Amino acid sequence: MNRVPRRLAATLALPSLLVAFWWWASAGSTSFYLPPLRQILAVFPQVWTVDRFETDVLPSLARLAAGYLLAAVVGIGIGVVIGRSRVVRGIAEPGLEFFRAIPPPVLVPILMLFAGIGDQMKIIVIATGALWPILLNTVEGVRAADSVLIDTARSFRIGGLRRLRHLTLPAAGPQIFAGLRQAVSIAIILMVISEMFAANEGLGFAIIQFQRSFAVPEMWSGTILLGLIGFGLAWAFRLVERRVLFWYFGMRAAARDH
Amino acid sequence: MTALQRRATAVTRIGFPPWAQSASGVLLLLAAFEVVPQAGIVPTAYLPPLHQVLAALADEAGRPVFWFSLYETLRGWAIGLAIAATAAIATGLLIGTVPLLRTATHSTIEFLRPIPSVALIPLAVLLYGADLRSKLLLIVYASFWQVLIQVLYGVQDVDPVARDTARSYRFSRWGRIRHVVWPTALPYVMTGLRLASAVALVLAVTSELIIGAPGLGQQIALAQSGGAVPDLYALVVVTGLVGIAINVLVRWAERRLLSWHPSVRGEVAA
Amino acid sequence: MLEIEHLRKVYDGHGRSVEALRDLTFRVGAGELVCLVGPSGCGKTTLLRCLAGLLEPTSGRTLLEGQPVTGPPERMAVVLQEYGRSLFPWMTVAANVELPLREKKLPKARRRELVTKALTEVGLADAGTAYPWQLSGGMQQRVAIARAVAYEPHVLLMDEPFAAVDAQTRADLEDLVRRIWKDLGVTILFVTHDIDEAVYLAQRVVILSNSPTVVQEDLTVDLPAERDQLSTRSDPRFTKLRGHVYEQIQKAKAGT
Repeated sequence: MNRVPRRLAATLALPSLLVAFWWWASAGSTSFYLPPLRQILAVFPQVWTVDRFETDVLPSLARLAAGYLLAAVVGIGIGVVIGRSRVVRGIAEPGLEFFRAIPPPVLVPILMLFAGIGDQMKIIVIATGALWPILLNTVEGVRAADSVLIDTARSFRIGGLRRLRHLTLPAAGPQIFAGLRQAVSIAIILMVISEMFAANEGLGFAIIQFQRSFAVPEMWSGTILLGLIGFGLAWAFRLVERRVLFWYFGMRAAARDH
Repeated sequence: MTALQRRATAVTRIGFPPWAQSASGVLLLLAAFEVVPQAGIVPTAYLPPLHQVLAALADEAGRPVFWFSLYETLRGWAIGLAIAATAAIATGLLIGTVPLLRTATHSTIEFLRPIPSVALIPLAVLLYGADLRSKLLLIVYASFWQVLIQVLYGVQDVDPVARDTARSYRFSRWGRIRHVVWPTALPYVMTGLRLASAVALVLAVTSELIIGAPGLGQQIALAQSGGAVPDLYALVVVTGLVGIAINVLVRWAERRLLSWHPSVRGEVAA
Repeated sequence: MLEIEHLRKVYDGHGRSVEALRDLTFRVGAGELVCLVGPSGCGKTTLLRCLAGLLEPTSGRTLLEGQPVTGPPERMAVVLQEYGRSLFPWMTVAANVELPLREKKLPKARRRELVTKALTEVGLADAGTAYPWQLSGGMQQRVAIARAVAYEPHVLLMDEPFAAVDAQTRADLEDLVRRIWKDLGVTILFVTHDIDEAVYLAQRVVILSNSPTVVQEDLTVDLPAERDQLSTRSDPRFTKLRGHVYEQIQKAKAGT
């Protein structure tokens, strides 16, 4: 019974200390750019009202979700096709290496040419950036499927869709999820950047507006909110990953115990 | 099937060796880049044909401001990466070798890690304006985590037998780090540097793009607002090539530095 | 049941040519239990993969019930050595055993029946809902065997299935193979490097030469049909046969 509270305490110890330190260190701050934490927190509920949530935060998150899902579907789909064939991989490799070396935010101006500055552009920007880790990790996961499993499936004449569903995708699962995890961070970054660059609403837009109008505590509150969202999404992702890849974590735990 | 057998089967079956595959891939890409806009599938205003982009590229190469921008981007990248790497290796080694620090900092690291570096853009602008230092703030912040995570994994991977042996021979903490921990962690550090070098480039160009600090990103923003589309594409291509060059460089360094290392360390997902 | 005619396999690559199998000819009659032994590196696994339709021979052919084998045939099932890697870790034991049956497009009830029967046959009737990585090595190999058995094959190929298992478990599994063989009347071709195992299990032992491989000897094992680990292995006839096989393999290694 004593273990849970102790672990909780250990987990919360340093963050609480840091927050307390931030509060104390900034309390007497007269710096314009680094206002007291107390002020930031006081401003928080004033800025992030339910209304603003609806007009700024939710549309941002909706675009994030749309872009991410698009990237996931396209990335996994193409990744499987490329991953299965050595020849296709060899041909596609130079192109993939090149496109993935381009920093995704740099594509924003180019995508603006095609898609204007509306929702579509932002979703495509998010999708384009999030695509690469998913695609590349899927290719790797499919390519590196255990040869013993493949031989077993072949010997039992398991092919086509059944093989995709029961062998290819699950076997590549852990690697695909690694890509999906990286893609979450990239998607968030692009969501914010696309809004900082060209938008009239959204979380990134709001933060930039605060900065431009020198509303510094408000700006900080936006940054904190962004941090919380990033943390929350990462945590939610880990939950999903634990459930879907239960077998993988089980295997590793079993191997560790032997 | 052994790898030899598999490769042999591929060659004899298709007669299409890997270098030919890569070459045809590059050719296909270049051809598509030229043909698609010419054929009108996509308007040339959005996607100029390859030869126009190449001409713009040649143009850029003749302009001093281009080289200056390239230099600025690489300068920010290098300095930021160096600061981040030093800080992350030092912090990582310290946290990794002191169990108390490890448990205490775990949750904080997990909390700060996913915070997107772009969240700091407004702060950077306020503090330093459109200047190298705002770039560095973002680059260092993002790269730091990449290297730190890998260093922590590396320290964790130390063979307990080796560690206990060092302890039984009464090595000092510094001696242990130098002879046991560091060699084990080195491959992970290299992986972290590879990941961080890519991230650092992204942040360098992004901060130039958004904040307007001098560099390739700023040039891209100028090209976009000035409607110089072939120029825009040319600069983007340059950015991609820089990214590839950095990747090649780091991988080369990795191979040189780790040529003594018996095992191949897989990349632990960051 | 199984006729192997002049099987030859040459690996070509990067200027090097390796003749793994030179000329293999032998037969396996319906319902027989035949073991293949040979020195290390003699291409036992290559041979098995050619027979299973996983590898294309350079020349020669395999006939299964009169039909040439060009790809994995439907009436054949394979059990590999790496049991841990041949079971799908994201599926339960029962699902693993059932998967090939779904490919065979059998109705659900029939599939359930076969799965239950197979798991009971290998002694894992209660393990259906467990995951492979929750089981021990020996149990995992039993699952792989159950999967092959449920498939209702005419021929069962086993590629050194017990090489990676500890000695006590191996003894149990050997007896399991003989039991399955008797109960189901299936034809079994069993590849092993363990001479004792080969003589204990088989009706015939086919001894392979060194690489490039041909059949060194086709030996009939005239031990009684009823065998058990204790008495059979101390039978003088067993010792004699075992010695003979060992001698042949030493000769094979020396290249004679």
